[in-house]
Amino acid sequence: MVQVKNLPYLTLRFKFYKKGALQYISHLDLVRTMHKIVVRAGFPLWYTEGFNPKPKLIFGAPLSIGCESDCEFLDVRMVERVNEAEAIAALNRNMTADMQVTEAYYTETKFSDMAYLGYIFRFSLLDGTKALPAIVACLEKDRILIEKMGKSGKDKVMKTVDIKPQIRSAEVYAEGEEICIRAILSADPASFLNPEHLVSVLKSECGILREQNLARESYFILRTDAYTKDLSPFR
Amino acid sequence: MTSLKQLSSILKSVQKPGRYIGGEMHSIVKDKSEVSLRFGLCFPDVYEIGMSNLGSRLLYHTLNSDPGIWCERVYAPAQDMKAQMEKHAIPLTAIESGEDVKEFDILGFSLHYELCYTTVLSMLKLAGIPLLSKDRAEDAPIILGGGPCAYNSEPMADYFDLMNIGEGEELLTDICHLYMQMKKDGSYSRAAFLRRAAAEIEGVYVPSLYEITYKEDGTIAACTPKYPDVPARVKKRIVKDLDKAPYPDKLVMPYIETVHDRITLEIYRGCIRGCRFCQAGMIYRPIREKSPETLCKAAKCLFENTGYEEISLISLSTSDYSRLRELTDLLLEWTDDAHVSLSLPSLRLDSFSEELMQKISSVRTGGLTFAPEAGTQRLRDVINKNVSEEDLLRSVRIAFRGGKSSVKLYFMNGLPTETYEDIEGIAHTAKRVIDANYELPREERPAGLGVTVSVACFVPKPFTAFQWEKQDSFESLIKKQSYLRSCITDRRIKYNYHEAKVSFIEAVLTRGDRRLAPVIAAAVADGAYLDAWDEGFDFDRWMRAFAACGVDPAYYTTRGFGLDEVLPWDVIDCGITKQFLLREREKAYKGETTPACSEHCSGCGASALGGKTRWCK
Ligand code: SF4
Repeated sequence: MVQVKNLPYLTLRFKFYKKGALQYISHLDLVRTMHKIVVRAGFPLWYTEGFNPKPKLIFGAPLSIGCESDCEFLDVRMVERVNEAEAIAALNRNMTADMQVTEAYYTETKFSDMAYLGYIFRFSLLDGTKALPAIVACLEKDRILIEKMGKSGKDKVMKTVDIKPQIRSAEVYAEGEEICIRAILSADPASFLNPEHLVSVLKSECGILREQNLARESYFILRTDAYTKDLSPFR
Repeated sequence: MTSLKQLSSILKSVQKPGRYIGGEMHSIVKDKSEVSLRFGLCFPDVYEIGMSNLGSRLLYHTLNSDPGIWCERVYAPAQDMKAQMEKHAIPLTAIESGEDVKEFDILGFSLHYELCYTTVLSMLKLAGIPLLSKDRAEDAPIILGGGPCAYNSEPMADYFDLMNIGEGEELLTDICHLYMQMKKDGSYSRAAFLRRAAAEIEGVYVPSLYEITYKEDGTIAACTPKYPDVPARVKKRIVKDLDKAPYPDKLVMPYIETVHDRITLEIYRGCIRGCRFCQAGMIYRPIREKSPETLCKAAKCLFENTGYEEISLISLSTSDYSRLRELTDLLLEWTDDAHVSLSLPSLRLDSFSEELMQKISSVRTGGLTFAPEAGTQRLRDVINKNVSEEDLLRSVRIAFRGGKSSVKLYFMNGLPTETYEDIEGIAHTAKRVIDANYELPREERPAGLGVTVSVACFVPKPFTAFQWEKQDSFESLIKKQSYLRSCITDRRIKYNYHEAKVSFIEAVLTRGDRRLAPVIAAAVADGAYLDAWDEGFDFDRWMRAFAACGVDPAYYTTRGFGLDEVLPWDVIDCGITKQFLLREREKAYKGETTPACSEHCSGCGASALGGKTRWCK
């Protein structure tokens, strides 16, 4: 292990999409996979110190299984500057079509500056337009309560949480047979809103969704973009 | 064809959907209109297990390097996925194309463990392929089996069209070429193909071409080929020169975590040791080593193509590789700088490994495991496990000084000639390991010492010196297990034991004959699936199946086989001669040991198979 202590590094940020088959890969498995991808790409990686040195990979907000994304972030620490375009090509060669890098840039911003994430939800319903007013009404309520597993001391208990403050904006519209919601949700680690939670609220509150027994498969979630606190694009 | 979109409703409702999606880096997709043979490499267990199988990795690479063949992977869906597939009438598909395996030309099953048999049959059912070889239509795939259980696959004989005896690299290629040739010249029919394969390709066993007759007492009278051109005994096929054998330069990169998620380098085949209970030590002989240069080249190439930062050197006993020092030196020239760690499982700790541990921080000797197998020197001599308690304690001291604090010891209950003294010996040995720690100066002792004693039940296996032995009765094994528990008094010793019921079924299947076929089908009809998993195994279900088919399992276990009896696996010639095994059995009962091949060749017979070897005379 020849690494000099405290070697300086540059952070190269990659923005990538994760779609199709890869929506079934968990965040943990993505971390493991990416690790091997950056090694294969042959980058001048910065390694952690200690007994078991590892490259330093930092991911943006995790994405749950079953969600697709156009807006995933990965920070990789390098000991030397690599050309951005070449870095993109090197990574993409080592990834399959369902996951590809779209942008790369050197940065000093932190993922903690990411305050919101934008999503598009699509529901395929038999009689979709009927559900629209119900969904709008549900989202306009003052409080949107969900039951969530939480911790109380050491024990896991069910808690009721109001997610309304975690929804920055939500706009409901119909697109052909589908009902869509364009929503901006909190990405702050302390109040991160999993988009699945929004779906479960709609399922329990909106008659038509419940009647159709909205199965997990008949809706679709895509993460589209990321914002800072003042709603400017996160970079 | 079932597309991912169609499957999406299901994928979102099952555990680990990543098992079913395919599309991994380095998975091989060909244009099906441009290949002449579709091969399904079927692993009768879930994805994480199958993806780690070295043999499957080798065969996937070998078959796909032929432009005329497209070899795809097929795994057993987990219980929850299987239920969904049955509910929605989704057939078994291959990972790469997502296409129905029923349309393939050949399906090759890896038979790595007897308890996977029920999974094999369930997979055929899911695929919509008739279970019995004789019921399959002309256009059904050829169902082929290989791997260690193929050496006695008689219980599965009615279900397989063809068995691969020996190493698959060349054998499978030959089988595929004959198939393609006969399809091309129009001479193909199932019967004609199977007959020609049996007659012309060394290592092919076609069970339907043999007639089994039985004596009045139920033992086998004879196993006779039905035609003169079918070999009376099928000789194992080996790869003669491992340095020239194909080795993958890429590995399919799983998205989800698999059991051996790393580069595995096979350093040699066979074993010089000759433990008398061990089947692997016999069937993979003769011993053939790869050169350090070949291995190092393969390792480097695999590292660049996979990004795995761990390389595991695989063999039956790593320390017995005659050029281990050269190999590790060669690897260390680049692995340390590339942040790649070496792991050397099945390494006996000796002076060399101590040196190795000091030289490189990144060597992982694996969890520290030792396999004395028996608790007394007497019984270790019987089984020809040539390690002494002193060897063990020396290794353990090295380990403790190296900072390792947990040690796992493997033993077996029910070995031939075992007495209660031998069982006490297990507890005693474990205690000596604890004591060895306290004999070290205080500053050299690791913190949090723990010794795990893990005890399996002896299963007599074909092609071992103990192939004729009685298996200990079920009741006796359970009594021994609880006796051992009472002998272990030190709280720092953790005691695990294998379920005797599992070993009992394993024993029936491993030495079974064709009369067991209906039993396996009955167990499957009763829901048996993934029996190799604790949650899949159901002893009562097996007992119901035996009863329903009128088969007495004790015939295969506690009865023992007569020395002059025709054994179900006599039709297979794995190189090791019966004379050698009988000689070893005699020595076992006299408590005499047999030296390792590196010291002296004992003439096991494997050298008749040829092959580039260092020791065999
Ligand atoms: S032929 Fe001799 S050296 Fe070779 S495996 Fe057999 S006993 Fe060992």
